[in-house]
Amino acid sequence: MSKKHTYTYFPGCMIPYRLPHFELTMREVLKKLNVELETTPDHSCCPEPTTFTGVDFEAWVTIAARNVAVSEALGNDTVAMCSGCFHTLAVANHMVHEDTELKDRINKRLKKSGLEVTGTHTVKNLLHVLHNDIGIEAIQKQVSNPLKQLKIAPHYGCHLVRPLEATNMDHADNPQWMDEIIRATGAEVAEFEDKMACCGAPIMPGDEQTSLTITSKHLKNIKASGADAIVVVCPTCYTQMETQQGKVEALSETEFNIPVLYLGELLALSMGLTETVTENQRRYHRVKLTELLEKIGGA
Amino acid sequence: MVTSELNLNFRTWLLDQPEGKTLLRCYQCGRCTSACPVADIEPSFNPRLFLQKILLSDELIAAEQLVWDCLTCEQCEVHCPEHVKIPHILILAKVRGLMTGNVPAAALDRARNITTIGRSLLVSPPMLKTREKMGLPDLGTPPMDMIVEMLADIGIVSRLDKVESNFGGNEDE
Amino acid sequence: MAKNAVVIGAGLAGIQVTQQLTDLGITVNLIEKEPIIGGLSTHLGRVFPTGDCALCLDASGEMYDGHHRKCQYRALVTEKKNLKLYTQAEVKSITELDDGFKVTIKSKPRYVNLDRCVVCLECINVCDEEAPDEYAFRGGTRKAIYRPIPQGVPLAPLIDMEHCTKCGKCVDVCKVNAIDLEEKENSKTINADAVIIATGVEEKIPLDFPGYEYRTSADIISHAELARMIDPAGDTNGVVTTSTGDAVSKVTMVLCVGSRDRTAFEYCSQACCTYSLKHAEMLRDLGIDVTICYMDIRVPNASLHYLTNSLQKGVKFIRGKPDKVKVRNGKPITIVEDTQSQKLMKIESDLVVLASPLAPLGTCNDPVSEFLGNYGFAQRVVKEGKIYSCGTATGPTDIPTSMAEANAIALRVYSDLTGGV
Repeated sequence: MSKKHTYTYFPGCMIPYRLPHFELTMREVLKKLNVELETTPDHSCCPEPTTFTGVDFEAWVTIAARNVAVSEALGNDTVAMCSGCFHTLAVANHMVHEDTELKDRINKRLKKSGLEVTGTHTVKNLLHVLHNDIGIEAIQKQVSNPLKQLKIAPHYGCHLVRPLEATNMDHADNPQWMDEIIRATGAEVAEFEDKMACCGAPIMPGDEQTSLTITSKHLKNIKASGADAIVVVCPTCYTQMETQQGKVEALSETEFNIPVLYLGELLALSMGLTETVTENQRRYHRVKLTELLEKIGGA
Repeated sequence: MVTSELNLNFRTWLLDQPEGKTLLRCYQCGRCTSACPVADIEPSFNPRLFLQKILLSDELIAAEQLVWDCLTCEQCEVHCPEHVKIPHILILAKVRGLMTGNVPAAALDRARNITTIGRSLLVSPPMLKTREKMGLPDLGTPPMDMIVEMLADIGIVSRLDKVESNFGGNEDE
Repeated sequence: MAKNAVVIGAGLAGIQVTQQLTDLGITVNLIEKEPIIGGLSTHLGRVFPTGDCALCLDASGEMYDGHHRKCQYRALVTEKKNLKLYTQAEVKSITELDDGFKVTIKSKPRYVNLDRCVVCLECINVCDEEAPDEYAFRGGTRKAIYRPIPQGVPLAPLIDMEHCTKCGKCVDVCKVNAIDLEEKENSKTINADAVIIATGVEEKIPLDFPGYEYRTSADIISHAELARMIDPAGDTNGVVTTSTGDAVSKVTMVLCVGSRDRTAFEYCSQACCTYSLKHAEMLRDLGIDVTICYMDIRVPNASLHYLTNSLQKGVKFIRGKPDKVKVRNGKPITIVEDTQSQKLMKIESDLVVLASPLAPLGTCNDPVSEFLGNYGFAQRVVKEGKIYSCGTATGPTDIPTSMAEANAIALRVYSDLTGGV
């Protein structure tokens, strides 16, 4: 059994309430990897970074820093499953670290609740946890069903990786950690043009046409690589490329039919936890997983 | 842009915001525009030009719907030779233009949710039941009184009461 | 007793400061890591502002009245009594003493004795082994016994042991017994009163700089590579071709690729605007269309004619920094915003030339790097009376400026060592 790791899990809003299969599969995978997650009711919406920042930046960074302060009081590193939450907390933490005036302003607001933010907290995403803390070797040990037949396209998404000074990821243009995790499951990594291309989701509220055009370009590039599925960590990217895939097809007059898996689902399939994926596939996957599951010999 | 007198209020305000000062590093090379995935499709979306306008304190940009076409993907920022925080500067322009109504309706819905129930979406009983059935823990509700009180000096709640959006239908999720 | 100095690097500035010091009576030990002197100049072809061949010393002709032959080939660098040239030599240590320095160097064997060789070149004729030519760009070769460039100084050939089979044909044909296939490397300790760092720069190819695809396409090249193609003495005989050997009709040049950039090299490399224009003009003379994508154009007054000539000869200019060069159907396409018309452009061409940063070479040598400062460049006077620097080792610049600096440092060193002019 690999070394035990305990984190404060920051749940956010989209994963726990809209896409709980993300949380379900990842919790099962993390259990196998001896990782414990603790939650607190004091965490609020991170707040979501794609539109709330433009409504009021000071409010956004204050609420975000408050969430970080709540985590700080609990003592463990924080891990956020959602890329948006991760980005928000990491950026707020970094800004508070760099800007003393901002830190003082925020702590003044937090004083009444007895909270304080220092800018020294460690905010992680799942790739930090899986790749750095747990390690590829330990993951490989749990892979009982190598997915050798699959070619997987990793979609990191913008908010997971950037800005590098706040996220502490490996590379802003060509990150590798998810590629390595995919290989650990036995699958091949699909190479496609514009690895870090945006899914397009952030501008859906304001300009659906441009948003879906951007998504279609990205799906076209991935399709051209011959990938069996796309793997994501972000619930918003998932919604855009999976739930809305039909809309993208209609706009671009192209058929994609490319399944999108959450990273937890991919790992679950490789670790003999297939049921956690199949029991919820009808509800959360509009693009059928049947062909994919047949390929790996799953039910 | 022709003005008889240059009003620097917008620019001064922006430079004073957290991380606003990176704007001054821009020397208008244009790499951001050739890197931008939106500029590739929509010719009127030109990050370099937006920065130029903001450098010249043109406040009209804050009221332009076009700024909300920014994906915040940071492709521009990553490739900018000066690491100007371009999407962040556009975000500050959005903040400046909020009260003109330049904000998509869905963004207001989310913001109102965040400042009243502490979530970006409405948590319904079926959602809670699903979690229970999946064996996932109850996440409780955040202490909204304290959060709202904490935001008092910023004045966002009262602004959200007054503002009306110019564009963007209902949240389509 | 005569004062003596060690000059590290026999590029243009190293040669110039050495010539001046030896003329003034100072003994100089000139250390060069390559088999020939000249440094970067041996790769350049024609240089500005006069368009002379780069091996020409002192492009600012008015500065002295012709004490030396202008050309390295005829500069008698190997003939002066108080000038000792060590080629294929690297500095292993620099130890400061109370009254000077102890510099140890290690020389790789040339296998050809410089005192005996009469440069008949019969050895090269009989050699059967071929090796890739470091000076070739489109796959040209040289022999295992070779001269890097025809005008290289020292004039004698050298042997590349990695490709030599020791067949002995060259030994047999040499009428003056100049070849010793068993020559060993040689260490030497030199006592010096002063050390002058003239280690120069290299054009640092932007291998990992995002967006420009240098690694994936042989049609995306650097200026040093373009210079080799344009040089009539190069392996393409002065014909500029694509990687598949086709004629080139359109070239796109991108300036500041990795320079003035917080992700790569923060400083401006000073000379690339000018040599980009020099090359653009040369390409126009070959009937090739040129488009230059720039952020700024920085050209010193003495070289302004390259800009005016380029404009006159129809070089196209786009003010905008391209984000990327993509390769479609084997052809590079440069994606750039023309900031003057605010239009996003996709420019197809046969070749793309990237103006890459000039990075200091002093950082590659441990003993030398002790004396370097910001960005790996050295101060002109690192330690008065002891350590100096000149040429591009103090910062990227063009040749005339390097020459002026070398002259100044020579006088300064002479003055510091002998107690006054």
